[in-house]
Amino acid sequence: MSGATVEQLSETELIRWVEGLLDDPAHRENPLLEPLGRLCELSRAQQTRMERLISISDGFHRISRDDHESLAERYDRHLRRMEKMARISDRYQNSLRELSVALKEAALKDPLTGLGNRRYLIERMQEEAERASRQEKPFSLGILDVDRFKSVNDRFGHEGGDRLLCDIAAAIRGSLRQYDLCGRWGGEEFLIIFPETAAGDAVGMAERIRTAIRAMSPAVPLPGDSAEGLRITASLGVSTHRPGECYDETLNRADAALFRAKSEGRDQVRQG
Amino acid sequence: MIELDIQGTSSTPIVTTEWEAGVLRMSGDSYPENSFEFFGDIIGWVERYLKESDRPLRLELRLAYMNTSSVRAMLDIFDLLEEAHGGGREVRVDWYYDPRNERVASLADEFREDCTFPFLITPDPVAS
Repeated sequence: MSGATVEQLSETELIRWVEGLLDDPAHRENPLLEPLGRLCELSRAQQTRMERLISISDGFHRISRDDHESLAERYDRHLRRMEKMARISDRYQNSLRELSVALKEAALKDPLTGLGNRRYLIERMQEEAERASRQEKPFSLGILDVDRFKSVNDRFGHEGGDRLLCDIAAAIRGSLRQYDLCGRWGGEEFLIIFPETAAGDAVGMAERIRTAIRAMSPAVPLPGDSAEGLRITASLGVSTHRPGECYDETLNRADAALFRAKSEGRDQVRQG
Repeated sequence: MIELDIQGTSSTPIVTTEWEAGVLRMSGDSYPENSFEFFGDIIGWVERYLKESDRPLRLELRLAYMNTSSVRAMLDIFDLLEEAHGGGREVRVDWYYDPRNERVASLADEFREDCTFPFLITPDPVAS
């Protein structure tokens, strides 16, 4: 080995070179022999120590990396699970929302005739009363009661009566303008709301409905009475909203007018 | 041997078990106020059954509506089943739905995703 290449020698080779020189009997008397020998030992001990240190440090590093991987894996699994949970939960929520819409609709509908029910009519009347006072355009109400309905029930039973109510509902609906509203107020009473309609036009509309119901009979197919038929008529009370009035005051006047129509012979329209 | 016999309420399902037959039944809606507490007993039963017995386990479900924490608890239960199934245990889920409510079937199908054990979703002959 030449001195010129010392820098390129590895640590192991350098030690081996020095050890070779130490063992050479030619240098036995050299005063550097002992200190150099100790230096060599020290260097070997340091190297072993360094290797152990690196190996321990690598070990810790590996543990930390493994931990990190399993954490990432667990995180991914939780994330997938969370997404699944949210997806399922959203679908449950959607079906609840749709159910709530369906219930709301059902809550405002008369199940027999399919028309709006009393609750629906009250809400609409409140709206119309508010709108009338804002825009100063009156609305009118028509309350309709089927004449001698009890005798239909007595003769044809409740089933016959129910069918008649459905036919009357259809006749009313068929006579209305597109923006008029109607519903079943209860029993054999129907309520019609004429938005933005003054008294004169409302009476005209009420007459149209009364005529339609009259024309309907005896076409109403009632069981066991096909030959005779039963003349079905209705009485109506009409009223028009007055400024500042609450909807139930308007309704009371229509009711009073209906009472007059009844007591003055039925099958007629009266205005209150 | 322990058995569960939980009376249903409007917000919690009926839960019954048959340790000997290896059956857990749940039916009704599930949105308990404290779902951790409610499902704790059920999860506990499943864990105990899987540990102390070596017979098959069958879940018979007739669940309709579930809130989020109930969905989570059911996923936990299915995880237990999946783990047992991985260990060679015979487990299965039979999910019966009211044929008038097909939505429940597709929701059950969402639950079934990722499960490798037998998971049947079928219209309930009792409901219709």
